[in-house]
Amino acid sequence: MRSFAYSRPATLAQAFKTLESGGSDCRLLAGGTDLIIRLRDGSLQPTIVVDVKRIPELRPVIREEAGRLTIGATTVMSEIAADERVRRHFVALAEAAAVVGAVQIRNRATLGGNICNASPAADTAPALLVYGAQVVAIGSAGSRRIPIRDFFVRSGETTLRRGELVMAIELPLPTQRTGSVHLRRTRRRGHDLASVTLACLVDAAGVTRLAFGSVGPRPVLAVDSSGVLADDAADDDAKGAVLEELFATASPSAGSMRASPEYRRAMLRVLGRRAVGIALDRLAGGGAPG
Amino acid sequence: MIGRVGASPQRVGGRGRVTGLQHYVADIRLPDILHAKLVTLDCARARIVSIDTSAAERVPGVRLVMTAADLPQPVPRFGPQFQDRPVLAVGETKYHGEPVAAVAADSRDAADEAARLVKVEYEELPAVFTIEGALDPAAPLVQDAALRPGDNLAATNVLREHLVGWGDVEATQADLVIEHTYEFPMVTHFAIEPHAFMAAPDGDGIAVWSSIQHPNWLQKVLADILGLPLAKVRVHAPDPGGAFGGKQHAKYEPLVALMALRADRPVRLVLTLEETFQAARRASAKIRVRTGFHSDGTFAFQDIAADYLIGAYADIADRVVGKGSYPGCGPYRVPAARITARSILSNTTPSTAFRGFGAPQVNWAVESNIDAGALALGIDRLELRLLNLARLGEAFIPFDTPADGHWEQVVRRAAELIGWGTPLPPGRGRGIAVGIKSGPTTGLSYATVRLLADGSVIVFAGTSDMGQGARTILAQIASDELGAPLDWVTVVMGDTAVVPYDQQTSASRSTVLMGNAVLDACRDIQSKVRAMAARLEGIDPSEIAVEHGVVLLPGREVPIVDVLKPGLGPLGGELIGNGEMRKEGDPGHPLGGSVAFFEFNCTAIEAEVDRETGDIVLVRHVTVSDVGKALNPLQVRMQDEGAAVMGLGHTLMEHYIFDGSGRIRNLGAIDYRIPTSMDLPLELLSDMVENEDGPGPYGSKGMSEGALLCVSAAVAGAVHEATGTVIRDLPLTPERVWRSLQEGGNG
Repeated sequence: MRSFAYSRPATLAQAFKTLESGGSDCRLLAGGTDLIIRLRDGSLQPTIVVDVKRIPELRPVIREEAGRLTIGATTVMSEIAADERVRRHFVALAEAAAVVGAVQIRNRATLGGNICNASPAADTAPALLVYGAQVVAIGSAGSRRIPIRDFFVRSGETTLRRGELVMAIELPLPTQRTGSVHLRRTRRRGHDLASVTLACLVDAAGVTRLAFGSVGPRPVLAVDSSGVLADDAADDDAKGAVLEELFATASPSAGSMRASPEYRRAMLRVLGRRAVGIALDRLAGGGAPG
Repeated sequence: MIGRVGASPQRVGGRGRVTGLQHYVADIRLPDILHAKLVTLDCARARIVSIDTSAAERVPGVRLVMTAADLPQPVPRFGPQFQDRPVLAVGETKYHGEPVAAVAADSRDAADEAARLVKVEYEELPAVFTIEGALDPAAPLVQDAALRPGDNLAATNVLREHLVGWGDVEATQADLVIEHTYEFPMVTHFAIEPHAFMAAPDGDGIAVWSSIQHPNWLQKVLADILGLPLAKVRVHAPDPGGAFGGKQHAKYEPLVALMALRADRPVRLVLTLEETFQAARRASAKIRVRTGFHSDGTFAFQDIAADYLIGAYADIADRVVGKGSYPGCGPYRVPAARITARSILSNTTPSTAFRGFGAPQVNWAVESNIDAGALALGIDRLELRLLNLARLGEAFIPFDTPADGHWEQVVRRAAELIGWGTPLPPGRGRGIAVGIKSGPTTGLSYATVRLLADGSVIVFAGTSDMGQGARTILAQIASDELGAPLDWVTVVMGDTAVVPYDQQTSASRSTVLMGNAVLDACRDIQSKVRAMAARLEGIDPSEIAVEHGVVLLPGREVPIVDVLKPGLGPLGGELIGNGEMRKEGDPGHPLGGSVAFFEFNCTAIEAEVDRETGDIVLVRHVTVSDVGKALNPLQVRMQDEGAAVMGLGHTLMEHYIFDGSGRIRNLGAIDYRIPTSMDLPLELLSDMVENEDGPGPYGSKGMSEGALLCVSAAVAGAVHEATGTVIRDLPLTPERVWRSLQEGGNG
């Protein structure tokens, strides 16, 4: 691994100063589960690595206030997967966090890191999309909220501005009954990167929200407001046609060695249909975690 | 506690292995050591135009940058079968990852940095990395024809052709002929311990540390290259952390030794996982099988043509091709057989020995083809196999060791455990297959055993314990024969200056060959104890017997130690026993020698397939092996289970992926998937048949590879029954199963 300077700011102010002086040679370190791999293989060669875990505003806490659940940026996957409030209100996020990497990875990998790495295959992204999460970003000019659907640009790129950090992720608490689920495809049952990752939420009003990743440059949210997907009486063909339309934007890469575009598209349809079914069951059952 | 054979005491060295106390090569620290890093090119094949080491040499801490120009000229070449591999690439790199230079520095980071700064100007050359590409008449030659003088294949990429057969295939009539072509992927060993090498000047010789399976073979390679007598080359071979055949033969030991001599300091090289992918792999293969059946299900003939894609240097790969394809017809009565096998060179990682040694490739094809025949004939797949299976003593390969086990017991037991013939839930299927592998064809093992004055024992054996548990087995034999508690037995291995010669640790031989040598050494000691007892008792030795740790005197029996102590007298001392086990070759035999034993396994699978996604869930995996006698039943089961799971790797998910110019795309763990604990069958049942009919101690046979041999065909058979789809290309990934189902799936 190439040598680099290591900075561990104790305050946001120190962090901004380092980020401003380091510019594009800076890389942020939270859990390190994506960064260290890329430092080792040489695909990233920063001159400064800024460890954000000691900044109090980013600390790993999950708190419920003002009608939302706020998850600190450095909260790790295993904490999210185990959190009783996440499991009650945002089960798809708990399910997604529970399949990121293996146990050791989940004990290190943070939610902030997972979204800032902006991998199209990030497992938490579809869940955050269906729940309408907001990303709380902060820079020297102050903080702002970015709706998660406006956050991802393409692999490794977000709408964060230079010098901004993700402080927390906010999830609005549901105001009506919902059913939701996360499903994914991998090459094996043991830990793996997803070749399709998908979340689905159905609410009592009959709106179905489907978000999916690893089938294009960024995770995407698609909404069915027609009520067809959530309608138990609708036939398979009608639902299939709606799914087909929702997934029309999927553009899986032909260059991937993990799965062919045809297979990814086909699995998107299979997972989509299965996810709608599970979400409806959960809605009927009161939305309890599966 | 006496470590009786047949018991399952705690593994000798097992605690150290799982707590991190065991020192692997990479854990050994020598003062003043230099860290080495290889310099490689990011392409399959290239002409080296120039190498500029000046920037690398300026990195602080760098002590040596070695290129081919710094080596003895001509650059030494080595290899167990052909001396074709240069210490560093000479003029041209021949596969993705072949080193053109190496850097040694005070720290690993400095070596890595300097390795990046070695400027190699090169011209990428056309490469071959598939069987079709290598066989194209217009294909570039992987090996310079000058390296193969007098070889009429030297102008092709075929290294050798092997032909074995009996009867007249062309003239044999059959009621049904089934012909298909099957493919087997390129996979790697993925030992948990990466290959590691270290060398240090040692007086007027050299000391080398390597995670190697064959320390004595390595000693000879190094002596030849360095021009030293064997006695001046000391090979330390700490217990490897998994090897599976990938650590049999010299890789970078000659380079590291030459670097250490040039730097006059110790040098170490620990490969990354990515580099191990470029150091060793299993040959991929394409196998055409034409099987003739009579209408009653008996075989008329087998006609097998197997092409194995080996790498840019032969290593032991051609032997793998010849020996692996040899029992290709399986353990059956086949009146006429023709097996042709070719080792085909390519610009890829040199393939080498790998658990199963070339047999799993052909087994996959032939056992699958037998299933196709059974289906066409309307005969049950189990019954067809039992019908043709060779019985004990039958010379099923006419010029070799006859069937050496009650194999039908193995097959029936596997069928019983899988519930063959019982109703299946919807969406499920079963498969069954048998596998056979030729054991060692030659062998030479020496052992020395010292019975110390207090009755404790030191065993000196040149076997490498790479996780298979050889230390435990050899200690159990000595414990049982000499009456010492198991924890009073020390087994010394892995040091050519201390331990007597052993030919190699491969072909599941060590229990049989080294086991017999240790047993022989113990018997040598027993005869000395007998003489001692005769002297002490004042009776004729013919009235005394010594066995299983006790001395049988007329009318009473006493522990050996009770004779030993008075026998040695006030000065103490010890008794030293020497043992030897030899398996002679036969120059007229197609393999250079008849097989010492066969490994025989039957695997049966029950699987469920998700037709929408292609996912295969193994509901039950049964493996039964003929082991002769389990000296340690727990270790036998662990080896059996390990081989079974390893077989699931190439069956379900493992394969190298190349880009269009021959670079390996999935180097490393992220995109080369091996089974994890979550990918195991829901139920894995391992059982064994013991008839004490093997050539090893107490009737044992080797058994560490059997359960891998026929996994693929058993799984594919289950998938076929579950879905109706036939797939003839491994691995059976979900996408491949899905695609086959989409396409109608009957091959």
